[in-house]
Amino acid sequence: MRKILGFLLVFAAAYGSAACATVRPEQRAVLADPTMRFEGEPGEKAATEHVLENREASFGGGSVRGGGCGCN
Amino acid sequence: MQLRRAFNRPRRFVATFAALAAWAFAGQAHAQVAQVDVRDTLFFEPSKSSKLFVMTPAAALAVQPVEWLDVHARYEADIVTGATEPIKSGPVADVVTSATHFSDVRNQFGGGLGIVRRDAHLSVDYAYGTESDYHSNAIAVTAGTDFFQKNTQIELQYARGFDQVCTTNYQPSTAPSGRTRLDSSDRCFTKSPDRASRSVDLDTFQVGWTQAWTPVFATQMVLTGALQHGFLNNPYRSVVIAPAGQDALENHPENRARGALSLRGRYFIKPIMAAAGGGMRFYRDTWNILSETAELEFEKYITQSFRILAHGRYYHQTEALFWSDDYTGGEPATGPRGQYWSGDRELSPLSSWMLGGRALLGLQGAPGARVLGFMIRFQASGSFDLLKTNLKDFTWSGTSPDDTVAMIMSFSLRGEF
Repeated sequence: MRKILGFLLVFAAAYGSAACATVRPEQRAVLADPTMRFEGEPGEKAATEHVLENREASFGGGSVRGGGCGCN
Repeated sequence: MQLRRAFNRPRRFVATFAALAAWAFAGQAHAQVAQVDVRDTLFFEPSKSSKLFVMTPAAALAVQPVEWLDVHARYEADIVTGATEPIKSGPVADVVTSATHFSDVRNQFGGGLGIVRRDAHLSVDYAYGTESDYHSNAIAVTAGTDFFQKNTQIELQYARGFDQVCTTNYQPSTAPSGRTRLDSSDRCFTKSPDRASRSVDLDTFQVGWTQAWTPVFATQMVLTGALQHGFLNNPYRSVVIAPAGQDALENHPENRARGALSLRGRYFIKPIMAAAGGGMRFYRDTWNILSETAELEFEKYITQSFRILAHGRYYHQTEALFWSDDYTGGEPATGPRGQYWSGDRELSPLSSWMLGGRALLGLQGAPGARVLGFMIRFQASGSFDLLKTNLKDFTWSGTSPDDTVAMIMSFSLRGEF
């Protein structure tokens, strides 16, 4: 229980500090670059994860869509 | 030569990025007509007795009829040939079986819809997979939104799987030690009296938080929880459970709760036009498996259109609570552990490392022009990975497996029209 509370506290602090991050839209050119996207090449990533999930007992925690210009 | 000079001047790089970004922003203001992906992945695990080869061709089509709507469909096949040992024994029982050859094809069809409105997106996907001994249905709903001037992105996903696996037709009242394994997929999913179909239910919840901290640094945290219920064994595998050599169908618990937490970051190094990334994953489940994964990645532009990536991964896990290399006697790790038994080496204590790379060529037409006269963008890539697994305790009758090195190759083409 202490571990969970500790994690929630750290998460809340980190999330709160996210509001302080001020990257303006015109500064997001690099963040929009394909090399900065966490999901990378989704097809290639899915194929590799498919192999690993059949070789190891672990699962989850894969990349989600995120990063990029946030311009939509 | 001109290109090389340009790449020696960081200011021009920034200007190039700004131009590319402006192009990307402008592109999103108009509906994209279609994107076609074609991919083939080859997996090869050499071995003297139990080699494995898997070819996975895949094709995907995404259409954006209007700016806020995405409709997509995909097809994928797994064409598997190889050999595997059907009966697991440890060094005490010393029951030696030869590997049996098998081949199978899994076909998977999927599709869905995605909607983007202002700061939010929502998508629904469905996938159906079929092979001679396994049928799967999965539906996934994903929703995400942006906060704090779009520097913070939160994405939630829920997926539900309804699978059916073919087994021998034992009754639920049959003692686990009296259940037998499948010898082939013949007559599966028919009314044959020696075959049965059993359910596997899968629920997966995931939340991802992506954060831009500076113009060149972003992080991501992903938390995954999953519940599995039903027949979680390999129907083809049996395990020797008595010193005289009696074997029975693998017997795993019917429930498994799994959790994983990933933390990763990416930093763009402008002077060398490269992105460096790293991440950690921590995993635990109710079968008492704990694992840690560390990953490093480095991707560099060689020219504006061509980039290369190198990555490395290290993985370590503990064994399942009920895993043993021999269920016939002795003390752990060579003795029985409770009411379950397993011949699954993925549940044994192991570590692995993976090294690999990718080369990618991406071309995009200038405003008003098209790549090869008809594509908005074109991309071709090829990758290679080497995976080495170190099995700490797992043996086939006391002999360490020799199929612990795997090679993964992937080739893909993508066009946007």
